Amino acid sequence: MRVLIVEDERKLAQVVASALQAEHYDVVVAPTGEDGFFRANAEVFDLVVLDLMLPGRSGLEILQTLRQRHIDTPVLILTARDGVDDRVLGLDLGADDYLVKPFALPELLARIRALLRRGRPSEGLRLKTADLELDLVTRRAIRGERLLELTAREFELLEYLLRHQGHLVSREMLAREVWTEPRRATPLDNVIDVQITRLRKKVDGDGSARLIHTVRGVGFVLREAEP
Amino acid sequence: MTSWWSTRSIRVRLTAWYAVVLGLMMMVYAAATFGAVRHEFFEQFDDQLHEDFESAEGFLAPAADGRVTWSGDGRHDPDNDEDRGSDVWLASGEQVYRSGASSSLPPVALASTTAQPRYESITANGQRWRTLTGTTLVGGRAVVLRVSRAEGRLRTQLWEILVVLVLGLPVVVVLAGVGGYALARRALTPIDHLATDARRITADRLHERLSVPNQHDEIGQLAAVINEAFARLESSFAQLRRFTADASHELRTPLAVIRGLGEGALGKTRTPDEYKEVMGSMLEEVDRLTNLVDTLLRLSHGDAGTVRLARSAVDVGELASEAVSSLGILAEERNQRVTVDAAEGVVVAADRLVLREAITNVLDNAIKYSPPASSIRIRVYADGEEAHLTVADEGPGIAAQDRQRIFDRFFRLDEGRSRASGGAGLGLAIAKWAVEVNGGRISVDTGANSGSVFHIVLPIRRSPIAADSEHTTQRMGEHV
Repeated sequence: MRVLIVEDERKLAQVVASALQAEHYDVVVAPTGEDGFFRANAEVFDLVVLDLMLPGRSGLEILQTLRQRHIDTPVLILTARDGVDDRVLGLDLGADDYLVKPFALPELLARIRALLRRGRPSEGLRLKTADLELDLVTRRAIRGERLLELTAREFELLEYLLRHQGHLVSREMLAREVWTEPRRATPLDNVIDVQITRLRKKVDGDGSARLIHTVRGVGFVLREAEP
Repeated sequence: MTSWWSTRSIRVRLTAWYAVVLGLMMMVYAAATFGAVRHEFFEQFDDQLHEDFESAEGFLAPAADGRVTWSGDGRHDPDNDEDRGSDVWLASGEQVYRSGASSSLPPVALASTTAQPRYESITANGQRWRTLTGTTLVGGRAVVLRVSRAEGRLRTQLWEILVVLVLGLPVVVVLAGVGGYALARRALTPIDHLATDARRITADRLHERLSVPNQHDEIGQLAAVINEAFARLESSFAQLRRFTADASHELRTPLAVIRGLGEGALGKTRTPDEYKEVMGSMLEEVDRLTNLVDTLLRLSHGDAGTVRLARSAVDVGELASEAVSSLGILAEERNQRVTVDAAEGVVVAADRLVLREAITNVLDNAIKYSPPASSIRIRVYADGEEAHLTVADEGPGIAAQDRQRIFDRFFRLDEGRSRASGGAGLGLAIAKWAVEVNGGRISVDTGANSGSVFHIVLPIRRSPIAADSEHTTQRMGEHV
C-alpha cells in the first residue's frame, strides 16, 4: 500500500511516516505543496494524507485539482483549523476524511485503515481473537467456555476493541465511536476508564490471559500477548 | 461651511447660536419698537395739527365789508415759528391770509376741498409738510383754512431713535456674545476637567476615578456614568488578567512536567520499561494540555459569540436522564445514588448537546464532591414560563463568598483535591456558558441538608408550532 504524506512540518511528517512504515505501508513524504501536487498527479498512491496549510500551494488546491482530473485516491485531510466551515469545505471538495491537529496517532492509523478497507466486503458477523468470541447477531460474548454478561455499552466497547484488535485505541476514538459524543470531555474520560476497568474484570478476570491492555498516555489495545 | 462648523468647539458654537438668535430677536424687537414709536409720533403730530386748525378757526372773524380778517395772536406769525403755517382762502380763490412759514407751499385746490378736514403730506422745497385742510363758515361765508407743520423736527427725532436702535443692536449682540461665551465656558469647564481626568486613567491606573463635583447636575451624572464604565472596565480587566494568569499557570504545569520527565529520563540510561513509563507519563500531560487548549478555545469562541447553536425542542427531564445514564457509572463506583425526579413535558428550545454538556458538568461536579454512599437528587419542574433543573448533593456545600466565583474559569475551592480528580477548574465555567448561551441562568445555593444545590433555569418553550417553525428557519439560515 502506497501512502503519500503532504506535510511541511518536518517532524510531524516524520512521525506519521514512521508510524505508517511500522504498519508496513510504503510511504512517500512531500515536504511542500508544489512537490505534493506534482507527485499526487504523476504517481499512483492508495491514499493521500494532506495537510491543509502548506506553503506555495494550499492543500485545498491540490485536492481540487486531483478531483478535477478524476483521480479518486482517498484523501485524508489534516488541519489545525477546527472551524466547521473548513471541514465542510474540505469534505465538499472531495476529501474522504479529516483529522484536527493535534491528533492521536492511533486514530490516524485507524482512519487510514478504514479508508483503505472501504469498498471491500465487511467482516463477518462474528469477531474473534484468542478464545474471545463476539456474536454480533445474538449479541453474545464468550470467553473460552464462559458466557460473559455484558451491558449494552460494554458489548459495544468490546466490539470496537475487537474490530481494532492489535491496534491502539485512544479515549478520543472511544468517546466518538462508542459513546457517540461529538467531543471528549473530562467527565467522559473518567467514565471510559471506569467502563474499561469493569469490562476488563469481566473479560480478563477468572484467571484467563489478559486481552485488554492499557497503554499509558495513549489508550487501550486488545491483543493476545503482552505488548 | 458644515466642516467649519463641526470643527468648532461647543463653546464657540453655543456662543454663535446665542448671538445669532439674540441678534434676530433684537432686530425684530427694535423694528417693532420703532414702528410703534413712529406711529405714535405721527398720530400726535396730526392731533397737534387738528388743534392748530381749531385755534386758527378762532382767529378768523368776519369784517364789516363782508370780508374775513385774520387776527392771529402772533403764534402763527412768520417770525415766531417757521415750522408752522396757516393759509386762508375765500371760496372765490382770493387768499385772505398767508403766514410766512407756509409761503413755499402750493395753494390749495379749492374745488377738491370739502367740509370734512383732510390731512395731506406735501413736499415743498425739499421739505416735508403735513397739512390739514377744511372749510369753515365765518360770518356765513365759506372759507378754506389750511394749517401746516413742517415734519423736519419730527423726522429728525425719529431718525435719532433709529440710529440709536441700529447702532446699539450690534453692541448689544457683541456684549451678549462675550457674556454667552464666558457663560458657556464656565458651564463647559467641568467637561474639560473630566476629559483631562479621564485621559489620566490608563490601563494600569484603572482603579482611579473621576472626581464628581456635584452629583446632581448633568456634569455630575456624566461623571458618575463614566465612573461606572471605568468600574466595569476595571473588573473585566481584572478578570482578564486573572484568567490569563490562571491559563498560563495551567498550561505551564503540564509543560513543566513534560520537560522534567524528558530531562530526567535522558539523565542516565534506563531500561525500556522505564522509558515506556516516562513516555506514557509525558503523553498523559500532553493529553491534559490538549484538553485544556480545546476547552479554552471553546470558551473563547463562546466569548466571541461565534458558536452556532442547533436549537430544537429539548425535553429537560430526558436530558437529565441521559446525563445520569452517561455518568451514572461514576456515581456507582462511589456507591452514590443518583435519583431523577422529573415532571413530564418540560420542554425548552435549546441546543441539545450544549445543554447536556451543562447538565453533565454540574452532575460530574456533584459526584466528585459528594462523599461516598451519599445521594444526589436531580429535580426537573416547570414554573410558569421557566423550566427548572436542580442538582442537590450532600457534599460540603459552598461558602457564600465563593458562590459567584465558582463559575469563574479556573476557580477551585480546593486546589489539591480537584487537580487530583483531573479537573482544570473549567467544568462549571463551561456549564455556565452552556446554560447562558441557551438563554438561561445558573446559580448555586446551600441546600436543606447542608450540601449544595445547583439551579439551572431556562425559558420554557411556549407553543410547539411556533418553536418548530423558528427552528426550521434558523436551521435553514445556518445551512445557507
